[in-house]
Parts: sequence; C-alpha cells; structure tokens
Amino acid sequence: MDQAQAIFFAFQIWCSIGAFIALFFLTIGIDRIDEDAQGAYVFRLLLIPAILLIWPLVLWRWFILETKRDAWPNRHSPPRHAHFWVAIALAFFIPVIILVSLSVRQTWPVDFEPQKLSLLEERKS
Amino acid sequence: MSVKYIPVQWNNNKWKYNAVMLASVFAYLWIFIFVTPDLMSNEGRINGQVHNARAFGSCAFLMLSVILCIGPLARLDNRFLPLLYNRRHFGVMTAFVAITHAGYIINWYFAFSPSSKYEALLFSNTSYGQLSGFPFEVFGIFALFCLVILAATSHDFWMKFLTPRIWKRIHYLIYAAYISVVAHVGLGILQDQQNHTFTVIFILASIVVATLHVMAALHEKKHGDPLVAASGDWVKVCETTDMQEGYAKIAQLTAKERVAIFLHEGKLSAISNACAHQNGPLGEGKIIRCLVTCPWHGFQYDVTNGSSPAPFTEKVPTYNLKVEGNTILVDRHANEPGTYVEPVPLNIKGAAA
Repeated sequence: MDQAQAIFFAFQIWCSIGAFIALFFLTIGIDRIDEDAQGAYVFRLLLIPAILLIWPLVLWRWFILETKRDAWPNRHSPPRHAHFWVAIALAFFIPVIILVSLSVRQTWPVDFEPQKLSLLEERKS
Repeated sequence: MSVKYIPVQWNNNKWKYNAVMLASVFAYLWIFIFVTPDLMSNEGRINGQVHNARAFGSCAFLMLSVILCIGPLARLDNRFLPLLYNRRHFGVMTAFVAITHAGYIINWYFAFSPSSKYEALLFSNTSYGQLSGFPFEVFGIFALFCLVILAATSHDFWMKFLTPRIWKRIHYLIYAAYISVVAHVGLGILQDQQNHTFTVIFILASIVVATLHVMAALHEKKHGDPLVAASGDWVKVCETTDMQEGYAKIAQLTAKERVAIFLHEGKLSAISNACAHQNGPLGEGKIIRCLVTCPWHGFQYDVTNGSSPAPFTEKVPTYNLKVEGNTILVDRHANEPGTYVEPVPLNIKGAAA
C-alpha cells in the first residue's frame, strides 16, 4: 500500500509540474516558436493533457526551437524501417501471450459436484 | 492543413467517417449489452456495472485491432488508403471507450476500499511472481496510458512541434499498447470465460493484426522503394522509360531519405517523398495542376518548389536532377524546403504517356 501511495503521489507531482509548464508554454512559449499558433487560442486547451504527460519532451523541443537548433532534414526522414521490427514483435509476442493465457487457464474439475456451504448461523442452530 | 490552428479540423469526409465510427460503436455496445448479454458473462451472475465494463473493454480491444489493421492493409493495397485518412479520430474515440471501460472497473471493483480507489487498483493484487492470477490490471493501465498519450498528442500542432519523426516514434507506442492489451485480456477475462464466443473473436482479431503486419513487412521488403547506389553526389534513380505522366518514381537515397521524381507536362521535378505533415509518401500521389496530393491526408505541394499553395505554409525539400541518355540522376544533397528547381524536360522517346 505504501508503494501504491508513493506511485500515485509521484504521478500527481509529475502532472503538477506539467501543469506549471503548460501555463507558461501555452501563454508565452507557443507564440514564440510557432507562427500558426499566433492568434489561435481555443485549440491550446486541447494541448494541456499532453503537456501534463510529456512535459520533459515539451521542454526539450521548446529549447530546440527557441535556440534555432531545429535541423530541417530531420523533418523529412520518417522511421519507416521500424515497421519490420514491429511486425517481428507482434508476430512473436501475440501468439506467446495467447498460448500462455490458455495454458494457465483453470477449469472446474468435471467429476466434482459443487456443494453449497452452510451459513455460520445455520451451523450454530 | 496549417495557417491557423483550430481545435478540430472538419470536412464532409471526416463527418461521414466519424458518423460511421460512432454508429458502429453504439451498435456494438447495444448488441453486447442488450441482445447478447451472455457473450462475456461467467457462469455466475454479474451486475450491470461489470457488464458495461466488459462491453466497453471488448469494444476498445476490437477498435484497436481495426486501427492496427488499417496501416498494413493500406501498405498492401492502395484501396484501403481512405481508411487511413481519419485514423486519428478513430484513435481518439478508442481512447475514450477505453477510459470508459477503466471508469466502470475502478468505480466498481476498487470504489469500496478504505484508501483511494486509484491506490487500491495498484495494491489489490501484487502476485507478480506467478502467471496464474497475475495482476493483469497493470497491462491495462499501461495500455490506457499509451492510448491517452497518443490521443493527447493527436493535434496537428504536435506533429509540427515535435517533428513527424519524433511524433511517429511516440505513436509507435500503439504497438506496445496492443501487446499489453492482448496480455490484459489473455490473463484477465480469458481466464474466467465460459462462453467462448469472445475467446474466438479475441484470438482471431489479434492473430489477424500480427499476420497483416508480417505480410506488410514482407511486401515492403520485396516491393519497397529501391535503395540507390551511393557513389558521388549524383545518383542514378531510374530510367526515363520508367516515368509515367502525372506520376512519380520513388527511390531510397539513404535508410531514411526518399526522393520522389515526378513527370508533369513532359518535365521532371524531384521533391522529398516525405510529406511535411505526417511524412506520408508523396510519390504515391498523383499530380493535378502541378500539385501533388499526399495520399494519406490530402496535403498538396507544387512539385517545382516543394511548397503548399497559398495560404498554406508547408514545405518539403527539393532535389536537383538531370538526364543523361536514358538515365535520370538526382543530386543526393537536398535543397532547403521550398527551393525552386527548374523542371528538366524529358525529351526521350519511350516515356509512357
């Protein structure tokens, strides 16, 4: 239970930091690094959940864009070769998980008749 | 497309796509809850809360399976490309269905704990050392986090902010989420299932997903864009006779960089094959009025300068090219996005009209 409390507390802290960063990023930072965001406000509310969750990445990209370190060739080189490894992973893990799941399944013994247990009050009387 | 961000971009096709999706989800839930209530029931009676949780959970699993089939199907056959068009809305809806499933579970099984129900979810079963009775909830929690991250980063802003490459890498979480969901179902409800209709659906769906991905990977290996020989600045990409008016030939310059060479009105132009939006394959699009349309989401670019028509601002790199005899060569060093390159006339006989 202590560990569960610690995990839940850490998650709350994580999201609180994200909320703090979201406040600054959505009011100041976003206008400086993306011209398409200037004058557009409603859509910013939709960005809040992601900032709460991936705020370290947001900070890193914000820094890259603010300091003009973004290299344009990186925007046109998709990681398409990863599809092959995804296929290998799916083809391996899915059958293994299904086989393991079916093998550990427990069934009721066919020759065993279930019996209703008496209530404590019935036994006392 | 860009210009100014709005919360959600709609058009007629997206309305239709979403209407079909929403109708399918409601139809599934209605059939599950009211028409076939025993489909996932145990021998013992279950209450409405648990029944609803199972309805939404199985719905989320099937939606995720369908989403994961769309990518490989579109790579295997172009006719499935329209399904790819609005896949992000599909994903966001799946995340909401999964959250509803989690809500029913947490507000029933863990709501009566003296501690917080979220903490109870974490400590109620800690038998991590055994397969039978393994705390399958942890797989569901992980998958739900992945789905929420994917849904939360689905706005076009994130693609531009993070770059398509990083955005794609984050969205590869969908595969980890799916494997996790399979484990969540396999070590969870499957252990207690007496009516095996859903067991069969579950196994079939997950095997279809895995098989389609393997088929698409093999197809890509066999019929993928050829990797050109790397020697010098100018690399041979294809023959003039390979070109067809209005279409492109795609060649792989490096493991990650692809060039699309278009023939338009008898002249050749070369741009990056990766769309600025989601890195969709521009070379698989057709030219209409000097603009190539990305087959994934309809972004358009002028093939002579790699720029979207005004008022849109997307740009892709261009390449210098030349024709020597019957051979088309491309300068392997891309020009900065939006750079105009004079189209090269193709005066060779044999190019398909």
